[in-house]
Amino acid sequence: MTDQDTTTGAAADGAPAAGAGNGARRPGNELEFAEQWRNEAYNCFSSGHKFCREVCPVTQVTRDERFTPTAFHANVVAMEQGELTIEDVAADYVNCTQCGACELRCPNTLFTGDFYRFRTRTVDVVKAVRALAVDSGVHQPAWQRWNLLTDERTHEPVLGEVPVSQEHVRDWADGLDIPIGGESILFVDCEAAFYRTSVPRAVAQILQQAGYEFGLMQEQWCCGGPAAEMGYVDQARRFAEHNLANWRAVGAKRVLVLDPHDYISFTEDYPKYFGDDFDIEIVLVVELFAELIREGRLTPSVPVERSVTYHDPCRLNKRKGVWAEPREILRAIPGLDFTDVDRVTQWSYCSGGGGGLPIERPDLTAAISASRIEKAKALDVDTLVSACPWSERPLAEAGAAQQVDVVDLHELLAESLGIEVGGRRGA
Amino acid sequence: MTIAPPLGDAVVTELAQAIGADHVHTSKTARMNRARVPAPFPVHRWADHVPDVVVMPGSTEDVAAVVRIANAHRIPIVPRDGGTGLTDGARPERRGIVVDVKRMNQIEEIDPVNRTCTVGVGINMLKLNEVLATHGLIYPDDPASYPCSLVGGRIGTSGWSLIGARYGHSRDLVLSFDFVLPTGEVITVGDGGGRKLTKSSSGYQLKHLFMGHQGTLGIATRATLKLYPKPEAEFSPFFAFSDFDDAYAALGALSKAGVATFAGAVLFDEWKVRYLRRDDEAYIPQPGDVRSLVCAVAYGNEDEVRAGGRRLMRIARDHNARYLGDEISEGDWAARHDRYATPLHGRTRSGQVVPMSWHCEDAAIRYDKLPQVKAAWHATVADLRERFDAFDDWGMFFYTSSNQGTDFLTEIDVGIWEQQLDDEMWTAWVQAKREIAAAALDAEGSISACHGSCREGEVDLVPTELGGGYDVMLRVKRALDPNNIMNPGKYGLDRAYTDGTTLSDGTAGPDGEGG
Repeated sequence: MTDQDTTTGAAADGAPAAGAGNGARRPGNELEFAEQWRNEAYNCFSSGHKFCREVCPVTQVTRDERFTPTAFHANVVAMEQGELTIEDVAADYVNCTQCGACELRCPNTLFTGDFYRFRTRTVDVVKAVRALAVDSGVHQPAWQRWNLLTDERTHEPVLGEVPVSQEHVRDWADGLDIPIGGESILFVDCEAAFYRTSVPRAVAQILQQAGYEFGLMQEQWCCGGPAAEMGYVDQARRFAEHNLANWRAVGAKRVLVLDPHDYISFTEDYPKYFGDDFDIEIVLVVELFAELIREGRLTPSVPVERSVTYHDPCRLNKRKGVWAEPREILRAIPGLDFTDVDRVTQWSYCSGGGGGLPIERPDLTAAISASRIEKAKALDVDTLVSACPWSERPLAEAGAAQQVDVVDLHELLAESLGIEVGGRRGA
Repeated sequence: MTIAPPLGDAVVTELAQAIGADHVHTSKTARMNRARVPAPFPVHRWADHVPDVVVMPGSTEDVAAVVRIANAHRIPIVPRDGGTGLTDGARPERRGIVVDVKRMNQIEEIDPVNRTCTVGVGINMLKLNEVLATHGLIYPDDPASYPCSLVGGRIGTSGWSLIGARYGHSRDLVLSFDFVLPTGEVITVGDGGGRKLTKSSSGYQLKHLFMGHQGTLGIATRATLKLYPKPEAEFSPFFAFSDFDDAYAALGALSKAGVATFAGAVLFDEWKVRYLRRDDEAYIPQPGDVRSLVCAVAYGNEDEVRAGGRRLMRIARDHNARYLGDEISEGDWAARHDRYATPLHGRTRSGQVVPMSWHCEDAAIRYDKLPQVKAAWHATVADLRERFDAFDDWGMFFYTSSNQGTDFLTEIDVGIWEQQLDDEMWTAWVQAKREIAAAALDAEGSISACHGSCREGEVDLVPTELGGGYDVMLRVKRALDPNNIMNPGKYGLDRAYTDGTTLSDGTAGPDGEGG
């Protein structure tokens, strides 16, 4: 853990800095923010129960109350009271993968969910604070650089010093003979397009085997979701506008999504940006494949002799409630010895790969992934199957140390369909 | 009285040298987020409770080093674990150093032969039980805060467990623990010298002394816990009654029946049923003539639970109970048991829904006095609500504390619209708490069965409740904590350091300088 505090608070005269209310000096955007989020934050503050704590992946590895969903709400109450400013809190909000576990475990969500249609919105609070920080000129250095490079290259710099670019965004599809354009477009996120290219290759070839027509974009940019998650909302919006325009330009009616993070962007962020004008159908490939298996259009028949357990990607399970279809696919693959861990237990599991955490705090991501691999290892399996490219890099790194192989669900399905996938499972 | 001396950079440096700079935190957010617990909090006075520095030790040695530094400099220390307590032991009163032990959450040993495990006190019971389950074992300390409270806080508050009538409470389940005294010495307390014993007659029985002190006597760091076989069966019938008196009679009969697998019984009064019906979506709807409820719970081996369950059902039927069916029984017990039982909103007198924090006043009350306390408490809260439209009566529960079935954790839930709080309302609230505590004492009860009794208001009556025992508390406090550094300002213990203190029997208090 890095202490970013130094001695800012404990002044030599012993007077704690906190308590010096400074509401009068606060800028307009901060006041507006406090006004907008005060009741949301107070709903958590008034509870104070912290049921969220032990399911929070960051809290599990840091044990630090600064980085709990409770603190993320309480800080907003303190900001409203003029006790804290955005400068005081911004760095703490790095410590969230936006997995959504806290929202599910919150007694407010559980008790009033149906009656008041209320779900605690920690992820939105975290995103809002990060956006306020950027708007106020308070940047986290690694995030600032990441988003700058993304803006320059139209893709996230997932290969580090190796540049990513528009010329290479379709390299993963070499030899697959995929057309440009059409009614159905396959969108491939930055991590899969440049780092784990075996995933989009598997997806594309499964679609081809099923006879499902699809094409690629003329000019695909990053979905913009990561920028939105890190607070760079204007950039996120620009990227979204580009992609929507490009879809329309090729006559797309639907977008096929293989990455859960993109699925959040397209089903939550884009509709917010474009309202009723957003008329693109979003299809999650995992759900589509489960349906194609059910309909007999895909029949996995090559036995895959592995002992596996499944990692529920947070954005599928906790954020979108998608947990049945991945299991359905796994159970359709012959040869697999599948040890399942139920989706509710997995609320407290995470890879640490989301919400920009690995960019600013790779140490925490590694610790969270190591903890996830330990849980898989305890089941005596040789393989952890995920369905999220962003989780697979940190999980694979942690798995290497424990002799647990990390495989993508789509890769596994392709293998059972007799497909020679090709591509890379890492840089 | 110890007043916090200035805490300068030199002390922060000393702490960093002792336990590592990464574990010493001085940012505003680190400190402000350790200023409060779920107990009602005067939000408008948040700044009064912010500590100067937070440390997160990783070992008993780290804790001892921090305590020695604090003692040398006469700096107040506030021990903090989960921070989920309903009394405010973990709320700093005089700044100083918050010692947050949540990093100490390792499972050091599971001993299936002797049915114990040894853990760092930062571990949560649910998390521990996830691991113990693979051994077929359970640590059955089961407060309503089960998913979030931590073992160290259970020791510091001497916690109460919902199924304590079957398995005992924290004081029975924690067999021994390492404990850092206010002067920095480390001792191990338990039954005698063995870490894994349930009964010893060797020497003073210090374990109870060092549980429930709300952080005023030191800091537990590592604990050995008593384990049971994971129960094969759970039975949790809910019974409905058309009036409180029938429910009260049934509660007594069920609790005192001597069923070996009996783990507890709960009575919901008319106010509670009305409130749940009005505002708790998780509450499964019941017929309109239901005015009071009783739940009985049994755990254990399947054949024994089945047999005991038949007896409980027969007793209930004989007391005009209506069984509410399996769905309500299983669902509602899961709700009572696994979550705090409140929707976290309330209503103004005009019926407007507003966000309210849940506050729970508790007491230990004998069976025969339950109706008396119930009447007195509702009257107090009604008066408060009449004067200030920011309080709401969310009803009362009565839970068995033991398998003998004769004394009960008695609680009234009060919704408080904290955003509206000002000094006048806070003062009225504190006075209401005094009245609630006084009613418990009038009924020959105790101010708290569960949370502790050191919050503003009720704490004023603790000397009255304990009499000469309170004087012994003062002497013990002063003997063990000569400089009053350990959570000063709690439980009125400052008076241990005041020359010429008059004790409850009229004799003089301890002499000498008081730090």
